Amino acid sequence: MTRMFVDAWDPSYGASFEGGDAGEGPASPSTAQTDTNTDVEVPAAQWAPIDVPAGLRAPDVVFLVDGVRRNDAGLWTAEEDGQSYAGLAASYAAGVVRCDLRNGVAELVGARIARGLFTASPSAADLQAGSVRYEVHRVSGTGEASKLPAAVQPPLTAFEIEISGDARAHGSDGADLLVVDGPLRNRRQLPRTIGYVKTQQKQYLPASLTPVVTSLRPGQRTPVFHIGTTWGSWSWYLRLPGASGAPWSGIVRVECSPDLTPEQAIELAGLSGATLPRFASSAYKDPRAPQNLVPIAGLERRLRGLLGDARVLHRALTLATARLR
Amino acid sequence: MEEASEPVGRVLGTADATPLQFWTAVTPGSYLQLDDVVVTTRDLPDREPVTIAGVVTQVRARHEGAQFDSDVFAIADGTLPALVQEAAEITTTRVDPELYVPPAPGAVVQRASGEARDAALHFDRMERRVPMGTGRDGVPVFLNADFLDGTRGAHVSISGISGVATKTSFATFLLYSVFRSGALGADGTNARALIFNVKGEDLLFLDHENTKLDDSTVAGYKLLGLPAGAFPDVRVYAPPRAGDSSGAPDVNSRLTGVDSFYWTLEEFCEKRLLPYVFADADDERQQYTMVVHSVTAHLARHAVPAEGGISIDGRRLGSYGDMVDHIVDQLTDDETRSTWAGSAVNMGTVNAFARRLIGSKRDLSRLIRGDLAARRPHQIKTAESAQVTVVDLHNLPDRAQRFVVGVTLKTEFEDKEKSGTGRPLLFVVLDELNKYAPREGSSPIKEVLLDIAERGRSLGVILIGAQQTASEVERRIVTNSAIRVVGRLDPAEASRPEYGFLPPAMRQRALLARPGTMFVNQPDIPVPLCVEFPFPAWATRKSESGPPPAGTMRSIVQGADPFAVVGGRSGSPDDDIPF
Repeated sequence: MTRMFVDAWDPSYGASFEGGDAGEGPASPSTAQTDTNTDVEVPAAQWAPIDVPAGLRAPDVVFLVDGVRRNDAGLWTAEEDGQSYAGLAASYAAGVVRCDLRNGVAELVGARIARGLFTASPSAADLQAGSVRYEVHRVSGTGEASKLPAAVQPPLTAFEIEISGDARAHGSDGADLLVVDGPLRNRRQLPRTIGYVKTQQKQYLPASLTPVVTSLRPGQRTPVFHIGTTWGSWSWYLRLPGASGAPWSGIVRVECSPDLTPEQAIELAGLSGATLPRFASSAYKDPRAPQNLVPIAGLERRLRGLLGDARVLHRALTLATARLR
Repeated sequence: MEEASEPVGRVLGTADATPLQFWTAVTPGSYLQLDDVVVTTRDLPDREPVTIAGVVTQVRARHEGAQFDSDVFAIADGTLPALVQEAAEITTTRVDPELYVPPAPGAVVQRASGEARDAALHFDRMERRVPMGTGRDGVPVFLNADFLDGTRGAHVSISGISGVATKTSFATFLLYSVFRSGALGADGTNARALIFNVKGEDLLFLDHENTKLDDSTVAGYKLLGLPAGAFPDVRVYAPPRAGDSSGAPDVNSRLTGVDSFYWTLEEFCEKRLLPYVFADADDERQQYTMVVHSVTAHLARHAVPAEGGISIDGRRLGSYGDMVDHIVDQLTDDETRSTWAGSAVNMGTVNAFARRLIGSKRDLSRLIRGDLAARRPHQIKTAESAQVTVVDLHNLPDRAQRFVVGVTLKTEFEDKEKSGTGRPLLFVVLDELNKYAPREGSSPIKEVLLDIAERGRSLGVILIGAQQTASEVERRIVTNSAIRVVGRLDPAEASRPEYGFLPPAMRQRALLARPGTMFVNQPDIPVPLCVEFPFPAWATRKSESGPPPAGTMRSIVQGADPFAVVGGRSGSPDDDIPF
């Protein structure tokens, strides 16, 4: 009989990986799969799970960066010529947690909050709603309502990069580690930084190597491989502790900048194996356990608190726009 | 009311802020502890700002950002970011001007010191302030003398577990403060105190210097504006030794300056003291009360003084025992019974009376005497005694203790009534009030105590009553006390309504109060104050007492000092005969 496992993630968050037809790993093989180089650390034929090197300790200081966003209200403009554009008032914030593992202190070292009005309307101006100001971000193109949420991402990413640099500015000992939530993409210039991908949607490895991933035990990782997409990177899979036992449960993909040498990438891979498992969350506390890391979850809660109360903002926006008419 | 100093936090907005109670978030790096005094202001349109002052009645600290109890491990491990946030509950003590508006969330809260602190605790409005110790912040706290001397209120009720609550120590310290602080002016100097010593001999050394007095205690007294020393003018009375015909006082540790007290049979009859022999609360419920009163009346009418003793029906009675036997004889005799007890009394009642009267012989025969000279001073009279009169009861059996307390209080109160003036003040310190004025039943002593509680204020008789449990004391006595003091309490006792004046947090603290810490509630401050009073500057036991004061060397029993100037009991050296 087929063995079954309940996915640890809350169903409203989707699944931690999107299963493919063959049922052996993430669906939709990456277009870049052909560019994947699996012979970086060991030849593909000799692939096997790798343990954390003995004696390797997690760095004393780990920075974790994340951003949150919330759509405060959807708007419609009424232009002079009778046209109407969709608008999106959104609040977004990015923050850095500095986990000092030696002293046992995790603190928010940097947070930045902004609010924006995203619209394609050529005539829209900044919107003052009560005590907060929604700065206008003009979206190119027709600006359909469904496209607007994606427009929030670039300024948020810019924030994350900015405060990651700021956090390191005071007090980097050169041995710390910066963990970015999600793929690195354009954040690759940050030093000693790894991207942390919670959901596995694309299959980067050839089917023959999938069993190596599924046979990982908690804390083990696959050898480093190279992905050759637009945002190319060094990457590896890692299994976090506290997974349900399903083949792809607790698997995360970690990546680092392709500009690094393979040796540097392998060093970071080892370090990630020593560091990330202790941040794994437990299922009863987090609907996305274990992939949603404890500091990230704490950071997101703090940032959401900083975004302000959604109802208050919604009412302020309603009042502000009513006054404009 | 200004001069508030360092900011310590802001009024928080996640809990309701009310005019009488609000929460303050404490600024990181600062702290607030229980009993700290803080002040904040509220700006109002078209009006002067309102100053809201209060004391901290609860403090809490919690992790913000933690959802689960186990998150604390992740936080301590350094993986979960969280903030430790302290918050303090402030109970308002003063709103100035009296506009009861809540403080605005976000308003800066400052620690009050100096004048701001005095204003917050209403000390600035007290015209006469009696120091009663220091607060948790080490600064003196005061008692409003208006509520002590009868001007606006009187009486002190002190509750707490025996041993750790230091009730008697606080009572004596309060007296010391009244006498020596000068807050009451001439009233304080002329005031008298009557202290009943019911346990041990620790109150017998009030006039002895404490040899264990150290510099820090002296400094503590100085801070309160008090000299550190013994009570200057004390007279100690003790009952005569049992079975001793000379009437020497029955004390062990204190040897000098002790007078014995007793009543002559003549006084016993004339002053109608017999009811005080039957002073148990359950005595009053019995039928024989009638007999008691008719026998008392008979004795008052027919007893004639006869060389110390009395003569009645032609027989001379020389001791309490003789008198009891005579009364019992007369009552059991069919011919004489009706003249003593009236005609409508049945034999059972008479027997019940006789049985108890005979039972009192052992306890009272050393106090009611027919064999000692009537002229010899033997009465406890505070007006003629020293500033502090200590009556030692600790060697006496229960019935005798009740008799002494009842008769002494009645005499003092009647004297006060006769004099018709409220001055000089008389402070009466009585421990174990629940024994003398229990909530249930009635007794002659309870009547006297109720009289004091209800009318003593105008007559200048101030009761400082102490008890383990205020819930077992007659309610009218407790409610008439303007000042309520609580030391360490028993947990079950602390939850009773008698302690409703303590806020919940303080009630919990009263369970842990250390010796020397009291919670004092006075009418014009809405929150009880936590008070630490200094270690006694007088000796509390033989081992720590210095040499006895010179005046005690010539006590009456030890033989009169032939060189003493007449009328100058503790006279100054200038008055001595110069040779």
